[in-house]
Amino acid sequence: MPLKSYNKKMDHDLGIPLQDDYFYDEPEEIIENKTMPEIESTIKLISERAKKGEKRKIDADVLIIGAGISGMQAALDVADKGYKVVIIDKTSTIGGAMVKLDKTFPTNDCSICTAAPKMVELSRHPNINLITYADVNSLEGKPGDFKVNIWRKSKYVDPDKCTGCDDCAEVCPVNVVNPFDEKLSTRKAIYIEFPQAVPIVYTIDYENCIGCGYCDRVCEPEAITFLEKSEEIEVNAGAVIVATGFEVFEPTEMRKEYGYGKYDNVITALQFERLLSSFGPTEGKVLRPSDAKLPKSIGWIQCVGSRSEQLGFPYCSRVCCMYATKEASIAKEANPEIDITIYYMDIRAYGKDFQQYYDHARDLGVKYVRGRPSSVYENPDKSITIKYKDTLTGKIEESTVDMLVLSTAIMPNKDNKRVGKALGIEVDENGFFKQDSLLTDPIQSSKKGIFLAGCIQGPKDIPDSVSMASGAAAKAIAPIKDRPKNIGKDFPPERDVSNEKPRIGVFICHCGKNIANYLDVEKLTEETKKLPNVEFCDHMMFVCSEDSCKKIKETAQEKGLNRIIVAACSPRTHGGLFQDTLMEAGLNKYLFEMANIRNHCSWVHSDNWDAATKKAMDLVRSSVAKARHLQALSEEEFSIYPKTLIIGGGVSGMKAALALADMGIKSIILEKESKLGGRLKNLHSMFPSDTKAEDVINPMIKKIRGNKKITVMTDSELSELEGYIGNYKGKVKQKGKKKEIEFGTIIVATGFKEIDLKGKYQYGKNTNILTQTELETKLKNNELKEPKNVVFINCAGAMDEERPYCCRVGCGVSIKNAKLISQKYPKSKIYLLYRDMRVFGKEEEEYYADVLKNYHVTAIRYPGDNKPEVILDKKDPKNGPFEIKVYDDILNEEMTLPADLIVLTANTEGGAETEKLKNMLKVPVDSAGFFIETHAKIKPLDFSTSGVYMCGAAHYPKNLVDSIAQAEGAASRAAIPISQEKMKGEGIVSEVVEDKCRGCATCVEACAYSAIDLVPYSKDSTRMVAKVNRALCKGCGSCAAACLNSAIEQKGYDSKQINVMIAALLEEETAK
Amino acid sequence: MSKVTEKFVDINSMNLKKGELVKEVEELCGENLFGCYQCGTCSAGCPFVDDMDLSPDEVIRYVILDRKEVLNSKTIWLCAACYTCAERCPRNINITKIMEALRQIILRKNIDRTLLTKIAKEEKETIPQLAFVCLFRKNVG
Repeated sequence: MPLKSYNKKMDHDLGIPLQDDYFYDEPEEIIENKTMPEIESTIKLISERAKKGEKRKIDADVLIIGAGISGMQAALDVADKGYKVVIIDKTSTIGGAMVKLDKTFPTNDCSICTAAPKMVELSRHPNINLITYADVNSLEGKPGDFKVNIWRKSKYVDPDKCTGCDDCAEVCPVNVVNPFDEKLSTRKAIYIEFPQAVPIVYTIDYENCIGCGYCDRVCEPEAITFLEKSEEIEVNAGAVIVATGFEVFEPTEMRKEYGYGKYDNVITALQFERLLSSFGPTEGKVLRPSDAKLPKSIGWIQCVGSRSEQLGFPYCSRVCCMYATKEASIAKEANPEIDITIYYMDIRAYGKDFQQYYDHARDLGVKYVRGRPSSVYENPDKSITIKYKDTLTGKIEESTVDMLVLSTAIMPNKDNKRVGKALGIEVDENGFFKQDSLLTDPIQSSKKGIFLAGCIQGPKDIPDSVSMASGAAAKAIAPIKDRPKNIGKDFPPERDVSNEKPRIGVFICHCGKNIANYLDVEKLTEETKKLPNVEFCDHMMFVCSEDSCKKIKETAQEKGLNRIIVAACSPRTHGGLFQDTLMEAGLNKYLFEMANIRNHCSWVHSDNWDAATKKAMDLVRSSVAKARHLQALSEEEFSIYPKTLIIGGGVSGMKAALALADMGIKSIILEKESKLGGRLKNLHSMFPSDTKAEDVINPMIKKIRGNKKITVMTDSELSELEGYIGNYKGKVKQKGKKKEIEFGTIIVATGFKEIDLKGKYQYGKNTNILTQTELETKLKNNELKEPKNVVFINCAGAMDEERPYCCRVGCGVSIKNAKLISQKYPKSKIYLLYRDMRVFGKEEEEYYADVLKNYHVTAIRYPGDNKPEVILDKKDPKNGPFEIKVYDDILNEEMTLPADLIVLTANTEGGAETEKLKNMLKVPVDSAGFFIETHAKIKPLDFSTSGVYMCGAAHYPKNLVDSIAQAEGAASRAAIPISQEKMKGEGIVSEVVEDKCRGCATCVEACAYSAIDLVPYSKDSTRMVAKVNRALCKGCGSCAAACLNSAIEQKGYDSKQINVMIAALLEEETAK
Repeated sequence: MSKVTEKFVDINSMNLKKGELVKEVEELCGENLFGCYQCGTCSAGCPFVDDMDLSPDEVIRYVILDRKEVLNSKTIWLCAACYTCAERCPRNINITKIMEALRQIILRKNIDRTLLTKIAKEEKETIPQLAFVCLFRKNVG
């Protein structure tokens, strides 16, 4: 390779040639390495285009701005339906805020581990065009035909050549404060945001690069392109989804009294999250910034910048209570000796399992103090003293902690106004994007064809963001639904290799230096060549590069290879890529095996060349052993009946049907009552607005009745169900008659009901003790007599031993109803007894403050272990007035309130038909009767049984806004199989050896996907045997492991394959 | 149990009907007391809270609950009007103004907590001038 001629390179931004003296002698390894292939690059194209003054044009169906968890979910939902997506992100990677988190509440799932597969899926999706380091400039056109101008900044690194080996960052002399680690660490001027970044392409930070050229000289694939230009791209799209996320408040200007930026050991919660993260600045150790020592005590201050009418934002940030609880419990679990205190105003543990998570944190020893600290000061030993009033004991106190964490507010992106202007959509007074209608159309922006997903319209947790993103995908399909769809990739026909002897090809990767510098690749190649059945073996710089894949394909065809092994990195990230290569070569994709010699050898044994080499040889040998027994596997293809069954005709069910109809998909709504509308039929108005419930449902019912794609069946119940995803047959009982229906997917939208209070708070004994629903019906029908003193009691039957959960909606409903009574009868005095005021959604906090102020509602906080007591009148217990004894937590004294109306906010539980549906659909339900989703964070709308989805309060009680977002999201999920028309199951599935099966049903229990049934044995119908439904089987292997008689084989991992692998690994040991 | 033990004024002489205290205070100071979240920020930051019988947030609570004995509290007279509470209150409630309103209710009945004539001579000589200015500023609002 000739020496590079640097003097020809120009600094295009400065317009001057780069100077020769930037560069010293060429490093030896580059001169030595003469085998680097020339790689075709798109960079040339870009610069040629730029010279001509042309713009790159991309035709797509949907453009998504922002590739955080919301943007990614929306992109996958659209792309899976066969439409083309362009997704852009202004940073150099995708993943957004979620990947910065260590774990997620309330399941403590590793955040990056749940997000990374989605990132990889997105980057490999044939329908998704990912453009990072880009921002939106302008938009013109109308829904169905938008032209959006995008500015893609140059990364100065050729994405086609960069392999993500990190050599450049190692030599870069510039240290830059790292925004990804929330400024707790530094990175280089050439960087990737984090190790799992997608795409794994380094970026030169133009503002900080000094142009020394070190990176250019060490980069083996010659990926550094100082001459690359930024480019303008025009995207034609039918719809746009905005998902640009949020920022976190930095209390440097406002709320200075907490010392952030002034005292070393005051950090934000997101910084603490980085400390906890395994790939953060301290690699997961909690160390305080001033001396890098483990703190003995940590304090959290909640609501820093949120719930603030001055010096902050008026809204609740919705997630801080839970993330502080999560961070505190993780720190406490890892280091039980740390003393942890959280200072709060109200703990808003409102979601599914949140209250239990909070209770668990208290059991771990996390202390919660109700009181908002006034200020903090630093001591000479750098510890922080907090001044606060414990409002539950009434004592003014000072407490000293080694480290203080501020749970700072989620705030709108500062760029929102510019983006809003560019797209022509409005922002609200706080700076979040405005919805067309907060209550009934929360995903629609103020402009048709542009939709909102995630935190851009207000703070949100991950499942709510994901649901909303799916909803946005559903809405974005509507204007483009008739465009041609593109499902999957086309491959040449498969060669039948079943009668051939194994001819194995092994391709060994250097991974730049990642592997080749730590173990002997050449020796590995030579040794591998000696193994029986290995027809070909070679080592390559990067097996995953495009030209290497081409070489694999050519070699396979030339040498007639019928098994391919790649010895490189993890099949999780790269397996799919190589399987595609096999299919391009006309081989079945299951004739492939990977040996992970990077993660398992060179990385973990980087200090032991011989051992790493030996282990790599062992791994390759065992892979070869398995490969000899690999067989071509088939993927079951099945057609999808293009109709969705929606169980439940409330708001969620109706909205799901309408969203499906907008996508051109037929549905049947099954409603057990005689009218559509669900719970809203009996309600007066909707929190957090004063919109009448009938104004919400009546237009919806009208739309549904006029829509030919929606069939409504009232007075109906599903009585029988058979089949699986795509092919369901059900019997519906309608007024004594039975009807048969067919459908492909199912959405469960059965809602919730108030619990039976069983006489608690004297309920049922006096006509003036009502539940919220009863009160609303009275208000709606104008039947409420003027009360003198009204007492609302929240959390009736909630957060106690019997029902440890929070009902999520009760606080909001009680506030709204307090306002309604007060508006109607201004002379009535209203008391609101609560435990924690949980109003968390958009505009809810503001609504609450407004009701307190303008209607003089007296809020009284009572402790959970000293509940209010209702004392009936002795003379007239049935209709007379009563007294309520309540312990005021704040004043620390018992009060007696006279009242003539009590309204109980009863806890909630799953709908009445849950039990029946659970068995029919084979889906799980929790102890409160709510359906359990596949994954609490990133799959909130799916059941683990394919083809069945849920939305609304069937999942957990939720307000109208969240229910509608979920309903539209569920519609999107249910539409994916229908849009694909045909689906393919897994090739790696379980198979029952019927002769061996005893029909014990152990596997039926073990299967998480309800894919196994007992059926009569074909040779002897009196005997029952297990049968795997290949459409539902996910190939997890649980059944094979559970089977007592080894009657189940997991294809692709059968006993023989595993046994020969083990034998091959132990070969040397046994030889001794 | 009420934390106010002193009986400095006769509450009945204030001519406040049931439920009127909060209206009177709101009218005088222009603040909305019901917006208070009882978070305790004002009390924790108050420089004189150690000597108060009711902490500032409790004063608000008493007014909301129509507990007129708040007028007998030492707190409203100990308040130095330093505005720390008002500055830090997340709900934007100006507690200093509320204290002033409570003092005004009493002052307007021509009753004063401190009479210059009753202060001992030695005290007059040792107490800083500024303290007197502060104290009597409270009389004129």
